[in-house]
Parts: sequence; C-alpha cells; structure tokens
Amino acid sequence: MIGVVVALSTTMIVVALGLLAASSGPFDQAYTRQSGAHLAASYDRTKVTDAQLTEASKPAEAVAGPFAMATVALGSGQQPGQPDSMVTVGRADSGGPVDRLNVWKGRWADKPGEIVLNRNPVESSNGPGAMTLDSKLTVANGGPTLTVVGFAYSVSMSADAWVVPEQMTALHPTASQMLYRFADAATNEQITAGQTAVTTGLPSGALLGTQSYLALKALATGEPNTFVPFLMVFGWLGLAVAALIVVNVVSGAVVAGFKHIGVLKALGFTPTQVMTVYLAMISIPAIVGCALGVVAGNLLAESLLTRAFENYGAGGIGVPLWVDVAAMVGVPVLVALSAFVPALRARSLSAAQAISAGSAPRAGRGLRAQRWLSGIRLPRPVSLGLGLPFARPARSALTLAAVVLGVTSVTLAVGLGTSLTNYQTAASRVGAVDLTMFAGTSGPQPPSEDGPPVAKLSDPEDEALLRSTAGAQYVTASADLPMRLAGTSQDLRVSFYRGDFEHLGYRLLEGQWFDGPGQVVVSERFLRQRALAVGDTITLDSQGKSVRVRIVGKALYNSGEEVLSNWATLQLVAPETRAQLYEVQLQPGTDLGTYVEAVQAGDSGLQQTSGQDAGTFVTAVLVTVILLTLMLGTVAALGVFNTVVLNTRERRRDLGMLKSIGMTPAQVTLMDVTSMAALGAIGGLLGIPLGIVAHRLVVPAMANGAQVDVPDFMLDVYPPQLLAVLVLAGIVIAGLGALLPARSAARTTIAEVLHNE
Amino acid sequence: MTDDEGNGQAVVRLTAVRKEYGESVALDGVSLEVNSGEAVAVMGPSGSGKSTLLSMVAGLDRPTSGTVTVHGEDLGALNEKGLALYRRRRIGMIFQFFNLLDDLSALDNVALAAQLTGTSASQARKRALELFEELGIAGRRNTYPAQLSGGERQRVAVARALMNRPAVLLADEPTGALDTRAGEQVMDLLLDLNQIGQTLLLVTHDQQLATRCASRVIEVVDGRIAGERALERTP
Repeated sequence: MIGVVVALSTTMIVVALGLLAASSGPFDQAYTRQSGAHLAASYDRTKVTDAQLTEASKPAEAVAGPFAMATVALGSGQQPGQPDSMVTVGRADSGGPVDRLNVWKGRWADKPGEIVLNRNPVESSNGPGAMTLDSKLTVANGGPTLTVVGFAYSVSMSADAWVVPEQMTALHPTASQMLYRFADAATNEQITAGQTAVTTGLPSGALLGTQSYLALKALATGEPNTFVPFLMVFGWLGLAVAALIVVNVVSGAVVAGFKHIGVLKALGFTPTQVMTVYLAMISIPAIVGCALGVVAGNLLAESLLTRAFENYGAGGIGVPLWVDVAAMVGVPVLVALSAFVPALRARSLSAAQAISAGSAPRAGRGLRAQRWLSGIRLPRPVSLGLGLPFARPARSALTLAAVVLGVTSVTLAVGLGTSLTNYQTAASRVGAVDLTMFAGTSGPQPPSEDGPPVAKLSDPEDEALLRSTAGAQYVTASADLPMRLAGTSQDLRVSFYRGDFEHLGYRLLEGQWFDGPGQVVVSERFLRQRALAVGDTITLDSQGKSVRVRIVGKALYNSGEEVLSNWATLQLVAPETRAQLYEVQLQPGTDLGTYVEAVQAGDSGLQQTSGQDAGTFVTAVLVTVILLTLMLGTVAALGVFNTVVLNTRERRRDLGMLKSIGMTPAQVTLMDVTSMAALGAIGGLLGIPLGIVAHRLVVPAMANGAQVDVPDFMLDVYPPQLLAVLVLAGIVIAGLGALLPARSAARTTIAEVLHNE
Repeated sequence: MTDDEGNGQAVVRLTAVRKEYGESVALDGVSLEVNSGEAVAVMGPSGSGKSTLLSMVAGLDRPTSGTVTVHGEDLGALNEKGLALYRRRRIGMIFQFFNLLDDLSALDNVALAAQLTGTSASQARKRALELFEELGIAGRRNTYPAQLSGGERQRVAVARALMNRPAVLLADEPTGALDTRAGEQVMDLLLDLNQIGQTLLLVTHDQQLATRCASRVIEVVDGRIAGERALERTP
C-alpha cells in the first residue's frame, strides 16, 4: 500500500515539476547559446543605405548586419514538397555578435553558387522533397543554380537560407536585414523602445517589418505554455494529495503496528531500536515506490515535453536532473517524517500500552455525535457509519482533505474539458457549416487519372449552382493563398472569402468584419506573435507582389498563421484565382446526401470534403486532463481505501460483535461505505468551490499561454445541475475507495476475533 | 422471556459435526441436543473445541461436515445474510470480554440489537430500558462502557443478548473476566433467566458456574464429547 501510494504520488510530482522546470528553459537556453536577435528588422534598400543603418544601430547592445536580403522564388522542376520561395540573406559567416548560427551539418557557404539552409536538427530530413547536402536549387526567372553545402539552425528565424554576400547581387535583394540585441529586452515595451532607438533618424517608410524575440518565444512556447498552467495546478494538487495520503498511510501503518512494536519491546528491543526498525520497515517500500514513480514520471513527462518543445531544436529535452533528485530525496523524507511522529509516540509507550493502543482507537471520542446519531431516523448501519469518522478525527481529517483535493481536481477537470470543448466548437465553427465542397486548387483543368477531380464549371457557375440547388441557405466561396508577412520568414495562409461570410460561424471578438479591399481579420495568436493590434497595417507578400492591408478585426480561431480576408483584397494580389472551397449551410430539414447529389449532377468535379480540423491539440490537452484527474482521483480513493482498511483492522472486534448480533454483510458494507461517503459529501461541498477558483485561474492562464482570448462562454461552465453532479464526485471517490475494504470487512470471519480479543 | 415452543423439545441439535482448521481438527463428530428451557454447560480444557462448538451453534462459523439445526433451521442451508438474520432473531450471545461498543452509551449498545432489525430508535430504547430495569442497571443506562464495572458491562451485554427475545442464549466464559463477586451476580442472573424459561448454552471452565446454572454438563476433550452428566443445581 505504501509503495503504491508513494509510486503514484512521485509520478505526479515528477511530471508536474518536470513540466514546470522545462517550460521556458529550452528556448532561453538555445537563444542565449546563439546570442539570438532580440529584434530582426528589414529595411527597404531603396530608402535607406547600409551606412545609415549602421549609424542608427548604435544604441543597441550588439548588432549584426546590414545583410542583403531577398525573397527568392524557386524555379519549376523542384522536388515535390520543396518551398516555392525562400527568404535568403547574404552572410559571410555563421558567427558574429548576434544570431550565431549552429551549422550542424555540412559547412558554411564560402563562394557563390553555394547555399546553406535553415533547418531544425530535430526535424525529420527523410520526408518527400527533403533536401540533402549537394541538392540543387534553381532560382526562378533564369536565376543561378545553388548547391546546398550545409544546414544551419537559427533560433532567431532570421532567414530560410544563407549565401555569401557576393551571391546576393544575382538574387536581386530588395531589403536589408539588421539583427539587434538590446540591454533590456524582457517585455514588449522594452523591445519597442529598443526599436524606436535604432530607427530614429531613418527615412520614413524605410522600415518594412520587424520580428520580435518575444513573439518568437511566444510562438515556440505557445503549446507548452498551454499545458503548463493546468499541469501546474494539477501538479500542486497532486503534490498535496500525495503528501496527505503518504502521511495518512504511513502514520496509519505505524499506528496499526503499535502491537508489533509492543511485542518487540517485550522481547527486549530498546525504544530507539524499535523506532529504527519501524522507520526502516516503512522506508523500504517507500524508496522502492519512489524509484518506480521517478521512472514513470520521467517517461510520462518526457513524452509531453518532447511533443511540446520539439520546435526549439535544443535537443536533449527531458526532466531536469534536479527534479529527479528532489523527488528521490523529498518523497522519502516526507515518508520518514510522516512515520516519525507516531513512531516517536510508540517509542515512549510501554510494551503493554503499545500492544493495547494498536488494537483500537482511543475510547470516548465523538461520543456526542454518536449519541445524537443513535437517535435519528436513519437505518442504524447508516447512523453508525456516520459516527465512525469521529473515532479517528485526525485520520478522518487527512482523508477528508484528500477527498477535497480529489473533488477539486475533478471539478477543475470537468470545467477545463467544458471550456476547451466550447472553445473548440466555436473555433471549428461546428454547426455553422453543414457542407464543404472542394473545387480543386485551380481550374478548370483537364482531369488526370491519378489526381483528384476538379470543378468543371467556372467559379461563378459553381457558386450559382450551389445557391440554386434546393436546400441551400448560405453559400460562401473561399480561396487560400500562401503569403508572407513582409520582413519575416514566416509563411501565412490567407483565406479570401466571398458570399454569405457573416454566416460562417466565426465569432468576432474585436473590431469589425472587412467591408472593402485591403482589410484582414486575424486571431489573437496572430496579433500576439507579431506584437500587432487591431488597427495596425501590415504588408503581405505573395508571388512577387506586395499588398498593404489593415487589420480591421480579431476573430475567434486558434491559428497564428492564418489570416482572413475578402475577395476584394484577393483581387489586389491574384485577381485570376478561383474559389477552391465552397462552404454551405443548409436549410433546416434538408437532406445532406440529396443536396450533394443534386450539386454533383450539375458539376461532378465538386467533391464533398471534411470540414474543419477537430483540433488535435485540444484533444491532447483533454486526454492529459482526464489522465491526471484519474490519477488524482485514484490516489484520493486510495487514501480512503487505506483509511477504511486501517479502521476495519482496528475495529475488527466491534465488527465481530455487530455481526454476532445480526448485522448482515450488506449492512456492514453499508456502514463502512457510509462512513467514507459522508466525508465524500463534505469533500464535495468544499472541493467544488476550490475547483471553480482553480478553473478561473487556470483557463485565463492557459488562454494566455495559447495566445487566445477568453470569452465568457469559456469561463461560465458550471451550471447548477453540473454542480449537483459534482457533489457526487466526492461521494463516488470516497465510496469507491471504501467499497473493497468494506466488502472484505463484511466477509470477515468473526468467531476467532470475538473469542480471543 | 422467549419465543420458544414448550419445554422439552430440542432447540439445538448438532449431528456428527466436524470442524477442521487446516490440519487440525477442532470438532470431531460431535452430536448433541439442547432442549427448550434447558441450561447446558459445555466444559473442557483449553483447546478442547468447546468455543468452536459454540461458534457452530451461533452461526459464526460453519462445520466442515455434519449439521447444526437451531429452532428448526438448518444453519448449513443459510447464506451469510441468512446466518446474520438467524443470529438476529434466534440467538443472543454473551462474551467473556463483553464486546460492547465503546462509543455508545450502555442503553444505545443494547438498543442497537433491535435497531438492526428496523425497530425505531425510540421503541428500541424503550425495550432496552425495560431490560435495564429487569437486570437492575437502569441507573447506568447513560453511562459509557469504559465507566462501567466488569459486572455491569456483562449485565449490559446480557441485556443486549436478550433484546430480540432469543430462542437460545449462548454464553462464552461469561464470568471469565469478572471478579468473584461480579461473577456470582452474573451467575445469578443467568440462573434467573433460565428459571423463567430461557434456554441456555454455556461454555465455561468454571465448575461453579456450571453447577450453579446448568442442569446438564457436556465434557469436550480433543474435539469429542467425552462425557455428559446431569446436575443438581446448587443454590
């Protein structure tokens, strides 16, 4: 029992501490190692000279650049999966005061015709289209052919590729890159202040775009930071439950062993020898359980950490050694302390006292409660059960505390689950889009044998077809275009919509929807990762064209790389593009299959496709929450189990007597389960408010980590009927924990107990 | 005082009862009968099997072979619940160490036996109080076991045993933990109960208890009935 409880508790502690310790470590370490840029800025070469940039950069603590920079379009004939374009920078070497690159494979370019690619060493390099050393890249429009001579990794994400500066002339650079490190760069305000300092005096409009270190950090740590708040709360809950259970189990085991201690004393053991023997007996299963818990905790935490931090390229992500050491030392110390107090008491007792103290709780406790309970109108086994916790108040208090924390966990988990599901439902627009039809990437095209079917009608004809088919209520057409935010190397997917866009199910959180050309709506995550706000203007690049757009609103969805815009804006960039997707909301009662058949009769190339992604991350969080809750609930139930086992052992004479006067096995079970269910009910009443408070703290923290807003529907997730059900959680935890030992007590053979006691 | 039929009929009947605990044999082919209204003492040295015999009659344990019939009920045919109901309705038990619940008052200890049958708390206490009056301990009804003398505790235990008007009162060394005076008081009590018709099956080492309370003594040695004799009760 001690071993199991300690193992589970230690697992919980290692996971929680491991996640906490690693949540910000890898990014910061990698950034420090590379002397990463606090701010990467790109400037228009036609408006500012290198000399001006160098002069203006003096307030920065360290500077790299100016480097010529170009977005290089790659020619046809590339392997599938290779990018269409790359942000390429001319740099003579990989070192320098800022953004020291880790050339982890091959070498740095040392002459024209060579190129070094930016790639995270932990990313797979075996996928389709993956480039290797000596791969050739041909620049579009008759540009040079470049040979890959090395792979480097920039945590600053300063470029997709690097060539020697002499090579840049042939690549027609349009921008100059400056990489800055500032003395103070802990907050957005400090970064902005730094930016202001190094751009003061430069010509207006020279600055094309910037990329903040904090935005990169937010991008890299977004997912783990979503895990951290609830893991932290679950970790603390787990730690508290674990400590309570360990104290309860260990002290109970020592008390139960008083008789044994008394016998040892009677045999001639000195008090100190007795105490030492007993502490050693408790410590062995505790140490074994602790070791197993550390191993299990490492395995569990590592799988979470590997997934969460894979983007850092830092390698070697796992539970820090100090966590293992702390668990290996701390848990046994906790066990020893738990055992020490009752063992000290045993030490001071005489042999005879120790023998009798181990057989039953001290008489005379909870007499008033028992007297009152004996007169109330409840079945006697129930009223007897209700009085049992008063016989061992300290043990009952520890058990109650464990149940409270168990219920807190369940309440938090249920709230988190509802919040996340609500968010996922809103973000994925479930219910707003009944049908998504795919028209092909561009068309009309002649169908190939292997490729997917493409639309046969023109874009306007298809939209008209969808609208005119019986059952259609709202139809929206959209086209996606890969674009880049000027001054960065981050790819964006811009979705351009037309039609009944307002009925698509997106929730607007701030600002307004676009109503003219040059307007976009983005997510909170997009804004945070780029330190932007509604009302800002950004420049989007695609296919050699740039368009300045204004962020007019913020909508609820959780992608930081997706931008929403309208068809009028698409006309500024790629006017020939046709819609690739049609999203349809049907009139109530319309049969989906009939509608699809009717549409495909008009254009057999339109294919029904799956709608929004279900959101694997939310699923992963939910699974983790459920696992942790089960773990905590199990540990809390184990505490109850232990209490009932100890109580039963101590009260075997009473149980024997009760059975001798006709208490049936079912009544014995009822009595013991009631004794704990009462604690469970109280635990429920106390644990629910704690769980709700935890939910109110965790959800905003998770949302902050995930860089999303927290609408009210994510917080108001505890309707009264759910609260009523949650009260049952405590009773269920306690009842389940008590059931097995209670049933065992009900089957106890009583003859021997009654005759020999 | 009992629900039993008229005197003279066998209320307890053991037929070829054998009880094994692993390799050891506690009872070996024991057969005996206790008639209604009779007071029978089972005597024998320690480990002879007399307490095991009482457990068989009380339905606290089951024989390895043979049958135990009490008040017409074959205990072997009863499941655990059936045995519990049997103990509740047919027998009352008195133990050497009283086995009272420390956290219940004397009155509640006694009332408990009736409350388990579903009797209301007030009715159970009323009946308990009657017994306290009869047994001469009414003044101690609200006292807790730890504050009672040994003799008083055993009287409370007797009251509890009588609570549901048992067919047979089973007593396992009822004076074993009492001083001489308290022991005599308990003996008197048992004798009085038998004289008003309560069937009594005693297990005891105490020759004086046997001769004072029992009309028949059964000697058990090594799990077998070694002898049986009728007694003239000594006053």
